[in-house]
Amino acid sequence: MTHTATTWLRTFAAAVLAAEPDLTALDQATGDGDFGANMAGALRLVQSDLDSLPPGAADGEVIAVAARVFLDKVGGTSGPLFGLLFQELAAAAGDGLTSDALATGAAKGLAAIQRVGEAEVGDKTLVDALSPAVDALRGCPDDLASAFAAAASAAESGAESTAGIRARRGRASYVGDHAVGVSDPGAVAVGLLFRAGA
Amino acid sequence: MSPYFAASPDSLVDDGLAGFALAHADLVHLIPDPGYVTAAAPSPGRVVALVSGGGAGHEPLHAGFVGAGMLDAACPGRIFASPHNRQIYEASRAVAGSGGVLHVVKNYTGDKINFGIAAERLQHDGIRCARVLVDDDLATDSADIAVGRRGTGATVVVEKLLGAAADQGLDLDALVALGERVAAGSRSLAVATAAHTSPATGSPAFALPAGQLEYGVGIHGERSGSTRPLTDPASLVADMADSLVIALGLIPGDRVITVVNGLGGTTPLELYGVHHHLAAALADHGVTAQRHLVDSVVTALDMRGFSLTLTRTDDDLTALWDAPARTAAWKA
Repeated sequence: MTHTATTWLRTFAAAVLAAEPDLTALDQATGDGDFGANMAGALRLVQSDLDSLPPGAADGEVIAVAARVFLDKVGGTSGPLFGLLFQELAAAAGDGLTSDALATGAAKGLAAIQRVGEAEVGDKTLVDALSPAVDALRGCPDDLASAFAAAASAAESGAESTAGIRARRGRASYVGDHAVGVSDPGAVAVGLLFRAGA
Repeated sequence: MSPYFAASPDSLVDDGLAGFALAHADLVHLIPDPGYVTAAAPSPGRVVALVSGGGAGHEPLHAGFVGAGMLDAACPGRIFASPHNRQIYEASRAVAGSGGVLHVVKNYTGDKINFGIAAERLQHDGIRCARVLVDDDLATDSADIAVGRRGTGATVVVEKLLGAAADQGLDLDALVALGERVAAGSRSLAVATAAHTSPATGSPAFALPAGQLEYGVGIHGERSGSTRPLTDPASLVADMADSLVIALGLIPGDRVITVVNGLGGTTPLELYGVHHHLAAALADHGVTAQRHLVDSVVTALDMRGFSLTLTRTDDDLTALWDAPARTAAWKA
């Protein structure tokens, strides 16, 4: 079972490391420009922590590695908010990451992120990608890869929609119209997260 | 060149904290990684621990109020920057009582998010956690400001009254209700004749010509909407008191706790002068200043200014104010 979660997280890490310049460019247009570097730094730590995990670790333990890194080791606020998502995904996955566990964990992660950040859909944050992904996962097909694919498509559309929004929350809210036309990098990263499992 | 006696903005925080812990080793323990301070001799009667924190540069807030009768732990961030959620999470785990942990949070986006993330982690671990938000700054009381009023000088009042109530063994829900009542009954207003010096640049955070007053300044050098000529202190304090009395809806016979707070670069002599004028202004309104604090407790590095806080009180709240507390900075 270890295979499922480790493959997912390693694919996500590779995708974020490849996309780091793009994420940085998006964040420079909307925030303080540290998002790409924070995410890349976190995922390098996740990669090395996964290397030292005992073989046969349950999916929940694997995802908990990512939760700890994102919560404990990443500055700013977006990284630790991803940590809350991983914390709920890890609890839901337990012994094995199933499509049901993905749906439950993503929904609880979204709820936690919204309790903390008070962001709604339309505020130009990662919630714009995560919320439609949670909707897509509700009543999703049984097989995990299809569930990931459905969530990824919904998250990617949500991330694209943030380009047309003037930010009301987060650091992008301070730059007003300058951020219109630019996607929220956190929302883009949520798309990468689900696409990595598809 | 920065005029601060520190090698860098970071060492300003780190060296200061280390020295604080050395000087008050009987009162506090410093855990440098991830960075928090706990009470060496916490109150025995508590079932709920009190934890606060926020950016550095506001000393003695918050570490100066760690000890019996007030906070169980405090988490300082960098200068004017929220602590990391890991500091808050680990400090809360270290001091949590059987009835959980209460976070006292000033209303700033970064503080709210980092305390919120820590609260989610604590609840995930099965530790009950709740929050009291302090939002007393009248200068940011506007329908245009979606994030609400800032948290400033009333933080110390909230920490004192909640600390005394926690010592009586109140549970989490009762403490939240009390904290919300105290926060709702508190308003503050701050003025400055000079900005603080930025530790990064060595320059004033904003330029203010001589004879001008920043009316409604924030505790991080946030400018107000109103720069006005400096008037005589009696009429300035009376103006400020009028606004606070109106905001709280105080009527003759009402009682308040007052805090005259220095912002870091104001002399004790001036603060006592302000206290003198405040007493006269409140008497004109028929409002009884039942208890007071005159001290620099919520500072903005070396800002030359002061804040006034009024907190509506009654016999119960005044008794909590009078209860003993033993911390590095509590002097009322």
